[in-house]
Amino acid sequence: MSATPIAPTPVSPTTAHLVGRRRSARKRRAGRVGINALALLVFVVMVFPVYWMVSTAFKTGPDIFGYTPTWFPIHATFANFGDAIHRQYFWRDVANSLIVVVAVVIISLVLALLAALALAKFRFYGRRAFIVLIIAVQMIPLNALIIPLYIALSRAHEVNKLSGVIITYLTFVLPFTIWTLRGFIIGVPKDLEEAAMVDGATRFGAFVRILLPLVGPGLVATSIFAFIQAWNEYIIAYVFLSSPTKQTLTVWLASFTTNRGTAWGPLMAAATLTSLPVVVFFVLVQRKIAFGLTAGAVRG
Amino acid sequence: MAAVESELAVSSRRRPRWSRHRIARGVAPYALLAPATIAIGAVLAYPLYLLVRLSFERYGLFELIRHKGVWIGAANYTRILHDGQFWHVVLRTLAFTAVNVSLTMVLGTAIALLLVQLNSFMRMLLTAGLVFVWATPVVVAVDIWRWMVDSEFGVANWTLTKLHFGNFTHHDWFVNPWSGFAVITALVVWGAIPFVTITVFAGLSQVPDELLEAARIDGARPFAVFREITLPLLKPIFVILASLSIIWDFQVFNQVWIMLDQRPSSDYFLMSIYSFFESFRISEYGLGSAIAVVMVLIMLVVTSFYVRQMVKAGEVR
Amino acid sequence: MGQIEFQNVTKLYGETPAVRDLTLTVHEGEFVVLVGPSGCGKTTALRMVAGLEEITDGEIRIGERVVNDLPPRQRDIAMVFQNYALYPHKSVYDNLAFGLRMRKIAKGEQRRRVEEIARVLGIEDLLARKPAQLSGGQRQRVAMGRAIVREPQAFLMDEPLSNLDAKLRVQMRAEIARIQQTLGVTTLYVTHDQVEAMTMGHRVAVMRGGILQQVDAPQRLYHAPRNLFVASFVGSPAMNLLEGEVVRTNGGVSCKLGQAELELPAGGSPVERYAGRRVAVGIRPEELSEAGADARARLTGRVLLVESLGAESLAHLELSATPLDRPELADLAAPSAPLLGEATATVRARLAADTRVRPGDIVDLAVDPRKLYFFDLDSGEAIRAAESAVPTAVAG
Repeated sequence: MSATPIAPTPVSPTTAHLVGRRRSARKRRAGRVGINALALLVFVVMVFPVYWMVSTAFKTGPDIFGYTPTWFPIHATFANFGDAIHRQYFWRDVANSLIVVVAVVIISLVLALLAALALAKFRFYGRRAFIVLIIAVQMIPLNALIIPLYIALSRAHEVNKLSGVIITYLTFVLPFTIWTLRGFIIGVPKDLEEAAMVDGATRFGAFVRILLPLVGPGLVATSIFAFIQAWNEYIIAYVFLSSPTKQTLTVWLASFTTNRGTAWGPLMAAATLTSLPVVVFFVLVQRKIAFGLTAGAVRG
Repeated sequence: MAAVESELAVSSRRRPRWSRHRIARGVAPYALLAPATIAIGAVLAYPLYLLVRLSFERYGLFELIRHKGVWIGAANYTRILHDGQFWHVVLRTLAFTAVNVSLTMVLGTAIALLLVQLNSFMRMLLTAGLVFVWATPVVVAVDIWRWMVDSEFGVANWTLTKLHFGNFTHHDWFVNPWSGFAVITALVVWGAIPFVTITVFAGLSQVPDELLEAARIDGARPFAVFREITLPLLKPIFVILASLSIIWDFQVFNQVWIMLDQRPSSDYFLMSIYSFFESFRISEYGLGSAIAVVMVLIMLVVTSFYVRQMVKAGEVR
Repeated sequence: MGQIEFQNVTKLYGETPAVRDLTLTVHEGEFVVLVGPSGCGKTTALRMVAGLEEITDGEIRIGERVVNDLPPRQRDIAMVFQNYALYPHKSVYDNLAFGLRMRKIAKGEQRRRVEEIARVLGIEDLLARKPAQLSGGQRQRVAMGRAIVREPQAFLMDEPLSNLDAKLRVQMRAEIARIQQTLGVTTLYVTHDQVEAMTMGHRVAVMRGGILQQVDAPQRLYHAPRNLFVASFVGSPAMNLLEGEVVRTNGGVSCKLGQAELELPAGGSPVERYAGRRVAVGIRPEELSEAGADARARLTGRVLLVESLGAESLAHLELSATPLDRPELADLAAPSAPLLGEATATVRARLAADTRVRPGDIVDLAVDPRKLYFFDLDSGEAIRAAESAVPTAVAG
């Protein structure tokens, strides 16, 4: 006769066994429900203003200007969007915003990459000083510098010109982009470049073929950051660009408020349009930025 | 002999000390840094110098046309330091900053702790919501809140009345600066929470589970685990976040300016608004500059902690 | 008192069982090692005792209390983690005192205990340092100290020696065993290293796939493995496993391994039941030696490789016998690839240090047929006499 099996046959447990455990399981489930409810509450509270903007943009006049709020735009309409788009200077200002943003992104990327390479790859006098500089520069209040900037630019006849705005934006975007790119470059292990050089590449070749592709995500992240900063900026554009043909979208939003009151419907539609590019790009990049800031902060 | 690159001054008889190659390598970093430095310097260094000089000058409309100011020494400074309104503004700005930063840090961290507990679906949902808030441009956000607290048709008034918090119909939130700042604070904190939450959450994820488990086994209750283990490990992040929040909240301008239709009453003056107002509305650019300089000095003191922490982190290599 | 008892404990992750119906008792003062390959459920079982994993079914008792619903801090156990889990921002002293502080023990008593343990472990000079400033061995001691100072009912250890280099590991093995002996605290120790298990435990519990295979004193595991898995897992180098055939002879039975036929001792060997069938045969490397002229039971093979280990040599030989191909063995070692197209098996033999055997030689190995292990080819179970000893796999 065959030997009795020592290992017991696997039991597939049914919940009948868990009777005694039920009380604490119920308590645990109640805790789960509570936490999820809290999370839902937080979500609703935080997102409500954004929802309100979008829903107002789709509402008809009576729905907007009723004493009882309309929670959901049942009679959705595109009229407000039409109104906003057909306002004077809209397309002009969109173009302006795009020009500024694209210029800032491209130029800042090039300059920041060069500077970040210097910081990451070389040891030289003044390296630490430069690092302190770019950190400290981010501390300087933008508003404080508006006055002298305005005066300096007006002397150089750069007021009311997009180029003045572009140059100014560069300054405030560069420190962060340099710092972030430096972090990404450092993150690429030296071994890879050294292997490439042993395999016959020159230093420059190793850079182009190995480093650049690996730093790609960093370039994308920083360029999106620069994009967002430039797109959203208000006060400098407001001060420097006085004629409506030169203004950017953020300033254009102010045109919805006259001394007769504010056109809320079209304004919300306009606001939605202005937010769109940012939201899209932001979703792509936010994880990388927070991670870059905290990577190593806890352990290191 | 193979031309092996060497950083040492070896075989000087084979290779001149100051070869083109070595000079190129020595110069390389500076060359790479130059464009960025020039850009930053041009737009920052010169205006900064100009700012300081302006603060010592009288620079009104007349001087603006002539492109030249009149040196008046420290007269601007004495004027603002003796001005009661200036001190009110400073105090108001400090109080405003303190309240905003505290609320942002506490609420932001609380939501991050909540995120840790959630299952992945709820976590994704909440994070997505936070990202949308974070992505909304400030000018847009201000307009939204302005609409929400509108005295006639705003949803805030209707809701509060419905919930029996009092009669809020036709209530203008900005008549009373306290309630006005309450709205502005809510707006600023609302916009600032996502960044803090997501950053703290990333930090929390880096705390090794084992440490928390060891603490639980050692007898610590959940709050003790947080206080003894999590908090100290997260200290660098909190320092950075708090410093950044102070820097940003101290400089708040857009929210107040746009919320009050670009015509804030003096009760709403924060330092950035005060400086702007003096310069661009009253055309007292010298005075405005002096106020701005004081702002910068206060900021420098406050942010020395941040700079030190970041340099420490950057120097780990 | 401080005994740990598993009673039909099961752990499911969704639908996947990590631990299946585990029943095991660690008696008070006993040192039991849970050992097995990765994924066998040993760490999960340990963590369930600690309260770090939910128990799907069954009960765990510590002392006499059922602890299923108790949080870790109420179970009066201490744990040593694989990565030490020392609080990086606290000094060694604070690390050691943390558990005492959480239990609100008086400051003076905290100091007394910490200093005493530090002295016993030889780390009293390190009390002011932070973990980052310690070596691996020192950190390990602090981790142990943190557990000891709490004077708990039981110690739980999760592969605490895995991160140490080989020499330190051997040293710490002895020290841990010694400390446990002195303190007499019930200990449940998890490792994947069978050498550690065999040298440290009073009893060793072998697990695979979430199922307890056998729990016994180390020597019994070695001499009386219950199935193929235990047989191949315990013992270093591993037991040689081959497929053979049991043939009836006029005196009794013999075992055919390839060309060789080994006569088995007469007199009711349980293997007789398998006459005419194929079985799995196990031979320990230490039971193979170079055959002298008078050796009757011999296996012939071609030497592939000779490893010199100082005090002895390990020869790898190729036999023309069928190797055993079973899923349990895939866990443990790469299967031997047949080199010649016909069925060949690679066996290892422990030979004397001064052996003259060289790769390429054809060598006769002597084997004692009484030292052969036999296993059923279908179930993998050891072939035993019908009225064999009471199984000791269940709660001892």
